[in-house]
Amino acid sequence: MDQETVRTICHLARLKIDDEKSEKIESDLDTIIALIGGLSSFDTSNIEPLYSPLEQTAVKHEDVVNSDNCKDKYLANSPLSNDDYFLVPRVVE
Amino acid sequence: MSIQFKTITELREMLDSKIISSEELVNETFRLNEQFKELNCFVTLNESKSREKAIGIDQQDEPLSILSGIPLAQKDLFCTEGLRTTCSSKILSNFIPPYTATAVSKLEDDGSITIGKTNMDEFAMGSSNETSFFGPVHNPWKKGYVPGGSSGGSAAAVAAGIVPAATGTDTGGSIRQPAAHCGITGMKPTYGRVSRWGMVAFASSLDQAGPIARSAEDCAILLNSMSGYDSKDTTCLDLPNQDLLETINNPIKGLKIGVVKEFDMSDLDLGVQQAFEQSKKLYESLGAEFVEVSLPNISASVPAYYSIAPAECSSNLSRFDGIKFGHRTEDPGNLEELYVNSRSEGFGDEVKRRILIGTYALSAGFYDAYYKKAQQVRRLIKNDFVSAFESIDVIMTPTTPSTAFAFGSKGAQNPVELYLEDLFTISSNLAGLPAISIPHGQLNNLPIGLQLIGNFLEEGRILNAAHIFQKNSDFHLTHPNMEDFK
Repeated sequence: MDQETVRTICHLARLKIDDEKSEKIESDLDTIIALIGGLSSFDTSNIEPLYSPLEQTAVKHEDVVNSDNCKDKYLANSPLSNDDYFLVPRVVE
Repeated sequence: MSIQFKTITELREMLDSKIISSEELVNETFRLNEQFKELNCFVTLNESKSREKAIGIDQQDEPLSILSGIPLAQKDLFCTEGLRTTCSSKILSNFIPPYTATAVSKLEDDGSITIGKTNMDEFAMGSSNETSFFGPVHNPWKKGYVPGGSSGGSAAAVAAGIVPAATGTDTGGSIRQPAAHCGITGMKPTYGRVSRWGMVAFASSLDQAGPIARSAEDCAILLNSMSGYDSKDTTCLDLPNQDLLETINNPIKGLKIGVVKEFDMSDLDLGVQQAFEQSKKLYESLGAEFVEVSLPNISASVPAYYSIAPAECSSNLSRFDGIKFGHRTEDPGNLEELYVNSRSEGFGDEVKRRILIGTYALSAGFYDAYYKKAQQVRRLIKNDFVSAFESIDVIMTPTTPSTAFAFGSKGAQNPVELYLEDLFTISSNLAGLPAISIPHGQLNNLPIGLQLIGNFLEEGRILNAAHIFQKNSDFHLTHPNMEDFK
């Protein structure tokens, strides 16, 4: 796990690591990846992945409106909003 | 009469015989919490609404259910309408949910009183409660020692006798490990038994809510209430209602208990080994039979978990972007900076570490080697359990390799050291199986936990085995003297 790889995954995850912590993070990630790397010794030829213990596809619901308009409730938790929208810094100049 | 260390059943009797009112019970609960506030069990208290509900319940002629008027604590990962829900993270430190999690609603609909939200490892990522933004929780048995995690505040509040029971969530052992370290009983149900709706998601294919209490009987009471179909969680199983108390007293003569060949007990603390042997003898004296079983791929559990759980976490935690709710950085220059700075300021180190590992495992070029491979190994582990349960009824293991440890003594240099705390608990999450931890001894005045893993949907059987053990032993009746906190 070199600095460049850590920089790439930080970008993908939209995270920034403080300079003084970067060496420790790199070493921790190396240790954890080595742990996960141990899986390669298990023979999984012809084994289907088990993505959920239930092995069932998500249940589908009828496409009906079943709750009130909760706009105000949800906007209330936003750090910045007006009466109708979540607000973000200007995207288009 | 003191209510400290009372079970739900005992408090029910006190309420029914008018020895105490629900209002007095709630007041005494808050007094106990104030007395032992150094434990740091709670992030947020729900004082006025608790008193209001208790007064209303005292005016009812008949209790709604066995839980009516009983104070409970909820892990701060369950959304509670109008009551702050932080996941012990800075990023959610101001979040007031607009709705209540189904598991909590069910408990509240049965008359229980949510007295507050308990401290935990940030976003349930940890085994020591040391990753909380609100500071660590002390183990009631020894100051400066961890209560376990991630449901550490819930476990400590029950162990200290502040509340008779609490909710927890368990992704890799987060109910059972703290229950073991705090000398109480905690249960992870079958995946799909309890609705996950309103639980802040960590790893969606592993997370499951469950009870933490002073006995297996109280766990059954809580689980009876919490479980049941919920159309809002598409992984919640549609099953007929089951009263887990009906079978809890069944005799266990002939119960076949599996002991896992691959777990090398000689690696464990001597006290943990001795307690395990003593418990085997107790079960044998009650008519159970021990059978050695093989789970040949069990050693892959920890590495598989630390690929799958971070991968799911990196996806689930992408919703925290500083826009719709939660912490937002000040004066971002542009949208990208808003995302990056809000997340980087809001998440703690362990959460960042897991998001990065998960992002790496899911990224192009590594997906097959890490994520898909882990899910294939997960099937091998599940298949091992399916084979084992053809010849046995339950599996018995220690819950943890050792007892509670001092703050800062594990994982600071090497995070994997702390991950190995979950060695015995992780496999049941990967396979979706129910499992319970009960106290069964002590080492240097710190509790030791025993784990019973059941087959799919066989909560009744492990609660029965745990209850019969508790009827014939007194480990669950011991409690800390709290001298360190007076």
